[in-house]
Amino acid sequence: MSATREIVTDQRDQFAFHDDIAYLAETKRGLTRATVEEISSFKNEPDWMLQYRLRAFEHFGKRPMPTWTDGLDKIDFDKIVYYRKPSEREEKSWDDVPDKIKETFERLGIPEAERKFLAGVGAQYDSEVVYHSVKEELSKLGVVFMGTDQALIEYPDIFRKYFGTVVPAEDNKFSALNAAVWSGGSFVYIPKDVEVPLPLQAYFRINGENTGQFERTLIVVEEGAKVHYIEGCTAPIYATESLHVAVVEVVALPGSKVRYTTIQNWSNDVYNLVTKRAHAYANSTVEWIDANTGSRKTVKFPAIYLRGEGATADIISVAVAGKGQHQDTGAKAVHLAPNTRSRIVSKSVSKDGGRATYRGHLKVSPGATNVVASVRCDALMLDDISRSDTYPYIDIQEDDTSMTHEATVGKVSAEQVFYLMSRGLTENEATNLIVQGFLEVFTKELPMEYAIEFNRLVKLEMEGSLG
Amino acid sequence: MTVAAPRPRPARQAPTDFTLPVGRAAIDEVAPIDGTTDWLPADRQAAFDAFEALPAESNVLYTTYIDLRSAQLGAAGLVSSPRADPVSTELPDGTDGLIVIDEGDIVGVALSPAATAAGVEFTTIADLASRDPERVRALLEGGSALPSDDRFAQLTRALWTQGVVLDIPAGVSLTQPVIIRWAAGAADRALLSRTIIALGDGAGAVVLEELVGSDGTGPDGGQSFLAGTLEVTLGRDAKLEVASLQELPTTTVAFQHRNAVIGEGATLHWALAQLGSHLVRSRVDNRLEGDRSSVEQVEIVFGGTDQLFDLTSYTHHIGRDTTGNLLSKGALLDRARSFMKGMIVIDRSAVGTDSFLGEFGMNLSKATRSVAIPSLEIDQPDCRRAAHASSVGPIDESQLFYLESRGIPPDEARRMIVLGFLEPVVARVPHADARERLRDLLEQKWDAGIGAGAVSTA
Repeated sequence: MSATREIVTDQRDQFAFHDDIAYLAETKRGLTRATVEEISSFKNEPDWMLQYRLRAFEHFGKRPMPTWTDGLDKIDFDKIVYYRKPSEREEKSWDDVPDKIKETFERLGIPEAERKFLAGVGAQYDSEVVYHSVKEELSKLGVVFMGTDQALIEYPDIFRKYFGTVVPAEDNKFSALNAAVWSGGSFVYIPKDVEVPLPLQAYFRINGENTGQFERTLIVVEEGAKVHYIEGCTAPIYATESLHVAVVEVVALPGSKVRYTTIQNWSNDVYNLVTKRAHAYANSTVEWIDANTGSRKTVKFPAIYLRGEGATADIISVAVAGKGQHQDTGAKAVHLAPNTRSRIVSKSVSKDGGRATYRGHLKVSPGATNVVASVRCDALMLDDISRSDTYPYIDIQEDDTSMTHEATVGKVSAEQVFYLMSRGLTENEATNLIVQGFLEVFTKELPMEYAIEFNRLVKLEMEGSLG
Repeated sequence: MTVAAPRPRPARQAPTDFTLPVGRAAIDEVAPIDGTTDWLPADRQAAFDAFEALPAESNVLYTTYIDLRSAQLGAAGLVSSPRADPVSTELPDGTDGLIVIDEGDIVGVALSPAATAAGVEFTTIADLASRDPERVRALLEGGSALPSDDRFAQLTRALWTQGVVLDIPAGVSLTQPVIIRWAAGAADRALLSRTIIALGDGAGAVVLEELVGSDGTGPDGGQSFLAGTLEVTLGRDAKLEVASLQELPTTTVAFQHRNAVIGEGATLHWALAQLGSHLVRSRVDNRLEGDRSSVEQVEIVFGGTDQLFDLTSYTHHIGRDTTGNLLSKGALLDRARSFMKGMIVIDRSAVGTDSFLGEFGMNLSKATRSVAIPSLEIDQPDCRRAAHASSVGPIDESQLFYLESRGIPPDEARRMIVLGFLEPVVARVPHADARERLRDLLEQKWDAGIGAGAVSTA
């Protein structure tokens, strides 16, 4: 049945474009020791970073490909370009950004977002941050928000103190890859007791066929400080595989509060393999708000290590898996200190043969007394050619932990659809509304502009399956 | 000055290394069973091939949670030719059958006259093979009722030397329980066994499996190894209840593989109690093949000292409108550990499935460890229910407060709460004497734990 009323229009082409950019420098396809050295020399890095990269490269070569999730063996590391540099230097002002790149960002709507309320914009065009601005008052407060490459030069002490301490290069195969070839990403430093009143935002996108994107984000929040960081991703659609391997490190020092929001909408040919981890010190709060709608395969489990007494972890993870997609997402909370709290909420939607997997790890280590932890994961399957998996790992090594875990899998109820249709909605609109309601636990945590954008993304996804 | 020679170090053992000294030659040492010589040796060889090829844990979801290091079986010798000729014994009141196996040797078999008259077979595999070799071949060959991806199930299929069959013809229901009692625990003995339960269409039975210490069990000496299967096939509308009470001595390493193929409209109830052994590795596979088939499984663990319980359940929904209801509960004292791994698989064909998996733990001492991995893999959204729940917590303060407000002393109140937590399995044990014994064992274990200071006091 299709009583089509064009409330929802397919705007996918708006996100699916490819600009021909003259890259100023790029490495050859494939990864060798020379590639790593070349990247480092392009960037004029200090020697310790080159040595770090080379160590990570060695480790990457030795580490076997993970087998607990499938399809990663299809990645052809020799076909990837590991570094591209589209313009010579960090641009301080919007006017100086090259027109072609600016046009791309215009189409993504960044300037409006900035004009409206965003505190800073860090836009990543392929592998380098080309545009960055932090509002005057934030600079005066001592807030640092810049490209990670630039921070290595300008803030070497803070950088070296924290870089690689949350996600060591040897953590997993892909963190080693990132450590070897990383480029771009955001560096955020919030001084003691500073509360950043507005979200900091960075837009990432991949351009260029087979361009690997290996950004590295490091967020350090000093004692008593507060920040909300947002990243959203869009990427042009290509037929051959692209690879996105990012590492995000968050250090939440005592009494601080950090929220990190992501909307991931890579095109459906991207392998999105991300290691995201936060260290939460005493009485700090870390929140990951994470949505994954795009990519061919995403493997991402935002993690929080509760290292200090009284720390709190909150993770909301949402995934929509459509045709040809596998969202292997979830969350990890590792309790290492007494009186810590964690809450994990996961919602997934699978449809058109897509596969949504929740993988979670909840661990209470010896010594972490009086822990309270809860996990809730719900999955919605829209048809019987799709698949939903739930793999929670719960490991409790204390005698006074209070842990609860619940999971359900279901479909859109015929009664709900019937009710909405009796109110004049088409079947498509009714299902769409139900899915949006199912995901609301995530949407309501977003700033309004993002909530609108996210609901639009969900509608686009739904367009593909119904009507 | 002389430098002391370094102390000899034990050989390093990886978590998945299994120390039982068996090679392919062990197959030739197994006493042949009359009536099976034309196919069984080849079947054993095929199983040994699989054993050698498979990893200790073939499910990558669980590989980080396998630890066989507490099994030290280097000195264990295989029981290769146990006594298998039936010896009659007295039938206990309130039962329809009894088989007692002591350290591998059959020491008693009894079956009620009514059951015998109805054509029920309840005997050793060797005995049945001497009378009806074709039936034995049909029940055993190919190990189709054992998981082909499980290394240790295949080891058991390769080297089993003792076995029990309960074969019930269509339409026959045993009203009273039959008891299968295995006594084991003598130092340095390794026994591998198979137990086959086949129920024809509309048949019914209640089975009580008892795993107890043998007279040869002593506090000293090496570990003993007991590996056993329970291979269940249920015909249309058959009904089977199985209760198992595992109270082996703590020098024993026990591997268990229970596998059920459940036919149309058939129902299976498991009630499994794990108390004894040093290391238990148990796997239950429920295959709901027939439409409207159902399985209910309740399992309890009451662990103490440094016991390790590694328990896996697979529930595979294949037919339409099938029901799975699994509940695992673990209470741990002292340094005990439990790994509860559960997997519900709902195939696309399994429309109308109702499946639930619950894994609940109570850590009663600081050095305990509870791991729960309740997993779901779902290809069919048109389910009545597909859910799991899990919790780990201490003794509920409000329950304690309630009992204390009724004048019950705190120690007694805690004991009541813990034993109440485990009661769901106790209540399902079919035979009154066995039920009472299980309650006694739980209480004894609690008292011993309290006495040894193995329980945290709030």
